[in-house]
Amino acid sequence: MKALRISTMITLALALVSGAALADGTSVSANEEVAPSDAEVARRAFLENDQCYQCHLEDENLPEHFFIDDIHMQANLSCAGCHGGDPASDDDEESMSEEAGFLGVPSRSEVPEFCGRCHSDIEFMRRYQPRIPTDQVNRYSTSLHGQLLSSGDDNVANCTSCHTAHGVLPASDARSSVHPLNVPSTCNSCHGDTDHMAGYDIPTDQYEQYAKSVHGVALLEKEDTGAPACNDCHGNHGALPPGISSVTQVCGHCHVNNLQFFEATPMARAFEDSELHGCEECHGNHGVARTSDEMVGTGDASVCMDCHDDGDDGSDAAGRIRAQLDSLTEVYGIALERQEEVNTKGMDDVDIGFILQEAHQSLIQARTLVHTFDPERVGPRTREGVEKSKSAIEIAESTIQEYSFRRRGFGMGTLFITILVIALFFRIRQMESS
Amino acid sequence: MDRRKFTNMVLAGGLLGWIGSVLYPIVCYLTPPKVAEANVGSVKAGTASDFRPNTAQIVKFGRKPVILIRTEGGDFRALNATCTHLDCIVQYRTDLKQIWCACHNGLYDTRGRNISGPPPRPLDEYVVKVVNDEILVSRPAV
Repeated sequence: MKALRISTMITLALALVSGAALADGTSVSANEEVAPSDAEVARRAFLENDQCYQCHLEDENLPEHFFIDDIHMQANLSCAGCHGGDPASDDDEESMSEEAGFLGVPSRSEVPEFCGRCHSDIEFMRRYQPRIPTDQVNRYSTSLHGQLLSSGDDNVANCTSCHTAHGVLPASDARSSVHPLNVPSTCNSCHGDTDHMAGYDIPTDQYEQYAKSVHGVALLEKEDTGAPACNDCHGNHGALPPGISSVTQVCGHCHVNNLQFFEATPMARAFEDSELHGCEECHGNHGVARTSDEMVGTGDASVCMDCHDDGDDGSDAAGRIRAQLDSLTEVYGIALERQEEVNTKGMDDVDIGFILQEAHQSLIQARTLVHTFDPERVGPRTREGVEKSKSAIEIAESTIQEYSFRRRGFGMGTLFITILVIALFFRIRQMESS
Repeated sequence: MDRRKFTNMVLAGGLLGWIGSVLYPIVCYLTPPKVAEANVGSVKAGTASDFRPNTAQIVKFGRKPVILIRTEGGDFRALNATCTHLDCIVQYRTDLKQIWCACHNGLYDTRGRNISGPPPRPLDEYVVKVVNDEILVSRPAV
């Protein structure tokens, strides 16, 4: 009887797993039978003989968030793979005895070492994932999480906080808690929890700020996995807040030109001497907004004026750079309007589009050159863009003239035909009367 | 001027105008346009024998610039030349043997894969065929 119940439960569990897999996008019709793969057959046989799984399933005592497709389960590393014990025995006292090597549930502070028994063992990992790093536990111990854990703070994140304990999936799997699209919410599950974070004296609104930032919109709304998540700036296993000197390096990892330009300026040294955080001072950190030309110059929205005073060298340079950018954006805007006009009139705007792409490129480069804080370097690029924009306007205007000429020609043609018809009418009348 | 003469003049003028308005579009139609059509399926990009290895050129593919590269090994590769970061036009760096975006120092390999800097995605690939020494760049099959 017990065997029948167990067998029924296995069938049900596997049917649920198969159903979930099909619901994930496998396009098989409802009536079509799918033959299980050899690996699936082997897995079913493995699970039928795994007494830990069978008993916990029967007792409805599987761990919270247990997922049968957990990456360890896929590799036939079941409960005993981590917790020890004898999975071949259906006697719980025997299978979960010290003699059988049963380890039980690790405390929170024991988790890194618990996972590290396998994940820090190169020889062991080579059998499953030869390319996976095996220094995660070492790196974790250098992280702020690891340092606090070793100082006795069990509240901080350990391996299972991010990866889960019984539903571990590779980061490439969209269902994984550490998939790039899910990393911000995974970090936020602790860092956004005011009760959990009480006593650490750090803000808990990073996720809200990030979600509205240019990076957050790209990742969370546009699902652009090229955009940085928390771990791209802070690290993952070795997570630490970037220090004063490393902020620019963190941003510069992607924004290479901006870093090179900034580092070559006297401002970079001045920032370091004043213990200012490079990029962060002007752009912010978690809530880094899409940049605008208003950030440069001497206006109210200028970030330059947060440090500089009216009339000093910095404000003069900022004002000049802003004027250079404005001169280009103004004429570029007019060129875009002319292109739109050409397009609306149904005329060919391909050449104009190419020239404007070059003008846009000059604008982008000029905006990047803002990080040199030198009008002498920004100026040539904006002038180049202005010239290109003017050339696009010239072509657009001649195209619009061509359009007007064609319309006039069409009007005149219609007029000539009308006159011809009228003249023919009178001619016929004359012929009839004579 | 009597009425008959006036009518004849109007008739002749109208006839001439009509001939002009019919002939002008025909002449314009027969004269080849200055630029190619915007929506193109493929473009000719010169002759293979004139294209030296480890060089590249930008080809107009309808509204899009395409970078056509001949690798050191002699293979042709065509990729969308618009950087996936902020739409600047990329260029081939013969010293690096990689595709480079001057705006933010983004780098792609010659397969168009983004390998450094801010570009978030690879460059779209086009199909290149050499037929009788003529290089043809066309859209990839969907």
